[in-house]
Order: sequence, then C-alpha cells, then structure tokens
Amino acid sequence: MATGPNPSLVSRLVRAALLWTVPALITALILLTWFYRNTVYTSFDDPLESAVTALIASVEVTENDGLALTREPLDPRYQRALSGRYWLIGTVDETNDIIPLLASRSLYGETLRINGVDRIKLTQATGEAVRFSGAGPNVDEPLRIVGREVLLPGMTSPVVAMAAADRRPATRSIQQFAGSALFLMGLLTAGLLAAIYAQVRLGLRPLFALAERVADVREGRSISLEGRYPAEIAGVADELNSLIAHNRNVVERAQTHVGNLAHGLKTPIAVLQNEAGLSALVDASVVKRQTDAMSAQVDHHLRRARAAARGQAIGLSCDMDDVISALARTLPRIHRDKDLIIDVDGEAGLRFRGDKRDLEDMIGNLMDNAAKWTRSQVDVSRTADDALVRVVIEDDGPGIPETEIETALKRGARLDEATPGSGLGLAIVNDLAEAYGGSLVLTGSSLGGLRAELSLPRAVQDTR
Amino acid sequence: MRILVVEDDPDLSRQLKQMLKEQGYAVDVATDGVEGHFLGDTEPYDGVILDLGLPQIDGVSILQKWRADERKMPVLILTARDQWSEKVAGFDAGADDYLTKPFHTEELMARLRALLRRAAGHTTDVIEIGDLVVDNRAARAFVNGMGIKLTSHEFRLLAYMATHKGRVISRTEMVEHIYDQDFDRDSNTIEVFIGRLRKKIGTDRIETVRGLGYRLVDPDAPQTS
Repeated sequence: MATGPNPSLVSRLVRAALLWTVPALITALILLTWFYRNTVYTSFDDPLESAVTALIASVEVTENDGLALTREPLDPRYQRALSGRYWLIGTVDETNDIIPLLASRSLYGETLRINGVDRIKLTQATGEAVRFSGAGPNVDEPLRIVGREVLLPGMTSPVVAMAAADRRPATRSIQQFAGSALFLMGLLTAGLLAAIYAQVRLGLRPLFALAERVADVREGRSISLEGRYPAEIAGVADELNSLIAHNRNVVERAQTHVGNLAHGLKTPIAVLQNEAGLSALVDASVVKRQTDAMSAQVDHHLRRARAAARGQAIGLSCDMDDVISALARTLPRIHRDKDLIIDVDGEAGLRFRGDKRDLEDMIGNLMDNAAKWTRSQVDVSRTADDALVRVVIEDDGPGIPETEIETALKRGARLDEATPGSGLGLAIVNDLAEAYGGSLVLTGSSLGGLRAELSLPRAVQDTR
Repeated sequence: MRILVVEDDPDLSRQLKQMLKEQGYAVDVATDGVEGHFLGDTEPYDGVILDLGLPQIDGVSILQKWRADERKMPVLILTARDQWSEKVAGFDAGADDYLTKPFHTEELMARLRALLRRAAGHTTDVIEIGDLVVDNRAARAFVNGMGIKLTSHEFRLLAYMATHKGRVISRTEMVEHIYDQDFDRDSNTIEVFIGRLRKKIGTDRIETVRGLGYRLVDPDAPQTS
C-alpha cells in the first residue's frame, strides 16, 4: 500500500467521508432521542391529566367554605404513603408555594414543590393543564406534575388541582433508548467507515497496479507499462509509456552521437600519427605527442559522455550469460600468444539491471585484464542473492600486490607500462560498478593471480 | 605477400598502402564495401586489413560473405569502434585480429606479420633456409650473415617463397602474390626476377620444377626427394 510521509489518497478520501457522515449520524441520534422523549412524556402525562380532570369534576365546596371530594381517585397508590403517585388541591401564595387544602394520603401531610423556573407558569395559564417538574415529600424523588388552575363556584380565589408521578421510569426509558441508539449509530458509523474504506481501496486499485507496473519498469522487469487501465488513468499510463520510450530514445541518440563523434575523430588522428611517421618534413615526436594527447582527450570525453548517459535509460536489463560467453569465445582469439583456458561456472540465467554495453565494459575489461596477465587459466564464476549478481574473475598470473590495489582502482592509474592497454581498465570498472550501486573488490586469488569480485544490481525477469 | 586494404578514408588508405609497401608487401586498396568484397572474393590475398564502417556494405557483412564462400585469408579489422560487442561481432564474423584506431604503425605491422606467419605455420618473423635468412620484420635478407641488396619486387618474391619454403610455387601463383592489381602483369617477368634472385642468393637455392614452377630449398641439406 502506498503509505509515505504524505497522507495517502485512501486516508484522504476516508477522512473526507467522515466529515459528513459523523455530523449526520450525531444529528440523527439527537433527533431520534428527542422524538422518543416527547412520545414517552405524552403517554406518561395522559393518566395524570385524567386524574386532574377527575379531581376538578369531583371537588365540592362545603358549607363552611371547606373543600371535599365527592369521589376519591381510585388508584390505591394515592392511599399509600410516599408511593410516588400524589394529588392535591390547594392555593398558590405570593411566593408561588402551594398550600394544600385537600391532598392524597400518599403525600403524608407534605406538599408538592414546583422547581424554580416552572413556578411562574402556574399562574399564567388559567384553565389549562400545565406540566412541571418538581418534588414531593421525598426530596430524592423527581416528579412529573400536571396542574390546572380553576375557579370553583362559590369561591373568591382560584385553586389548583394537581396530580404527580415519579418521573424516573420515564427518564430511565429515555436513557435506555438513547443508549441503544448511540450503540446502533456507532455500529452504523463503523460499518460505513469499513464500507467507504473498501470502496476507496477497490476504486483506487488500478492506481496501485499502475504504481507496481512503474516499479517493474524501473527495476528492469518489463520495458513498458502493461495492462489495461480505467479511462481516468489510461492517459497517465500512456503518457508514462511514451515518456519511457522517449527517455530510451534520447539516451540511445546521445550515445550514438557520442560514438559517431569519437569514431569521426579517431580516423583523422590515426592519419595524423601515420603521416608524421611517413614524412621527413615534420617533427614526428611532436605530432605523435600531440595526437596521443588528442586521442587521450577523445577517450576521456567519450567515457564521460557515456557515463553521463549511464543509468539514465530506465527499465533496462540484460542476460549476463550472453555477455560472458561472447567474451569467453572472443578473448582466446585476441590473446593467441597463449593457450588461454577460460572456465565459466556457477548460476546460469542471471540478469543484470542496467545497460548491456556497461556490463560488457565491466566484465570485458576484467576478463581481458585477466587474459592479459594470466599464464593460461581464467576462472569466471557467477552467483546471486535477491538483490545482487556477483561475478568473480580469477587468473593465475602475477596478481597485484595488496599495497597497489588502491592505486589500480584510481582513475588514470597504470601499474605496468609494458602491458598494452589503457591501464584504466580496473578504474573504469570500479567507477561503472559504483555508478550502478555495485562494487569491485580486488584480492589475491587461490590460483595465484588476481581475484576480481564484481557485484551488480540484479534484475529478476518478469515471469507473468 | 599481397595485402588488401579496405578503408574508405582516402588519407588513411594512402598511408596504409605506403607503409605496407615499405614493409615489402604488394598492396591493393578498396575504398568502399562493394569493391572491397569483390577484390577479396576474386584475388588470392595473403592478408586483409578491413575497416568496419564502410560505404555500401559494412566490414562485418563483407567478412561474413568471404567466410561463407570459403575465403580463408587472415583478416585484421582496423576500426574506430571499440565496444566489446563490436569486437565480439568482428571475431564471430571470422576476423583473426582486431585493432582500434588510433593505432601505432609498429603495432599494426607487428600484428599483420603475426597473422601472415601464423597462416603459414611459422612461429617467428625470421625464416631460415640453411644459411639464407629472410627477416620479414626488417624486410631484409641475409646470406651467411651478409645483407643482400634486393629491390622491393625481388624481396617480395623471396619472402613469399621463404614463407612457403619447400613447396613448389607456380608462376601464376607468384604473379598473384607479388604484384598488386595495378601492375602490368606479365608472367615472363617472373623468370627475370628468378634469374636476378639466383644471381644474388646463389643459383642452387631456387630449384626449377619443370612444368610446375619453382621451389626455395637449402642446397646443403640432405635431399629428401
């Protein structure tokens, strides 16, 4: 998955989805709970209202200006002390306290108290049922109270009739509902999140596939982006493919130009060198010195130009066996003055991740060097691990003293002027190997000569 | 010894011709691929110096055609192309040696001599037939350690016979191997050269095999035939 220092596209899309789902679900939760609460209180208040209506219907003014009920409310809970169901008929004083005139037995001589903010409602709504919250004889018991103010015939001031019930069952029911709703909403949120995540992953899958194909090209497993892509990224894939092809062309062209330039210069230099040798009119040593300098310049800049193009062409890989067997075939023909025996063993079918010409330069220089110095035997062995291919080239020649190995790897070093060749061979191989992130290690060989171990990035051939 | 040079650069081909002549070779020059291939296909050269980047047909293709047609003369590729893949292609096409430009004259001459020598089965540039010594390197001949003054044609004839010492060489073969293409070939002149050579190195060193040709022998060695 494409996680990195930057937030991934997946988390970006998931977070964007969270931005609207979570507020929507919270709003739904609040609204649902509110509707349920209203429903619960409506059904809770109904019996209280009936009780108040019944009280008003059955109250009478006695002869001595007292009050009496023609019929007591039937519910036995009104008879039991502190049962949680109460009624009373009374008057309201200046401080909005209620002075009972008649009350249920359950009130046990106490009165009902209306909570601070609700008190004012009592005197403002004459003749209508009003709902309050309040408390009764038991201070820990929150009550739901329904009251109505009436003016009884034969009385000068109005009285209030009230019925009250413990509200805790209703509150509990609402709380339970809210709890369940919250749990379900949480479940819904989690489900939505999982669905969104899956959808995003599924939707972006071609994009991840594209990233993998690009990696394949970069690591030399394939030479262009393969597969079909959805319309939205098909354009990107096509553009990448033409970019890869363009890059390859540019590098190829640059190398061709460099090669042409160098080849175009080499023949004139050869002509000048020869002319100096053939003519008595010019100082041959001066011309030779100058043309040698020109030749060295051409070689130097040719190498520089090749190095600049090196590693720029992406997605290249080549078979090592082709290169090694071609060299093993050719070197004995170059070094005909000795009976050269080149043994190649180890793992076959390995691939190098890079330009074939560079591989030829590296292995060619090492094998040629070994062939130049050996008495007759050159051993080439190939091994590999997941990331690297390793080529070990050994000869039975004189080898290089340990103290001079560092010099041999330094650019421009030339250990023995007597053996023909640029003398740059090992240094070039070292530079090239390092440019590819590989290495060249020189040690003494068990055969007696030099042992050169070249490590290079491996390309794993795509088997799809 | 007759050498074919296939090189399209006019200056370089002129120089190669001059250098090779100084070394005692007969030299033909071709400046494009078609002519080069034709000459190598029809004339019996002792060796070829072949450029790779040629007009019309490139050097590797020419070499492949020659080898396919059983033309087995030694071929040295002389080119500015220095990539390993190009060397491999050159040798795979049938080259015997490969030298990159710019080159030193001495090295080219030494390698060419080595090719010619190997083709004839000799191990050194100096061939001894009794007390006659032919030094291909210095393009000189000695009898009893004394240098002999020879014209270039005389030396060429002697060197060819020395390289193939003990073998009977026809007049036609001599004509083909000591004259270059432009020379007015007349097989009668061979007899003139043989006569002059006999005067300079001793008559009995060149044996006439009637109807077949001539053979270079060591008069002091016991007769084998």
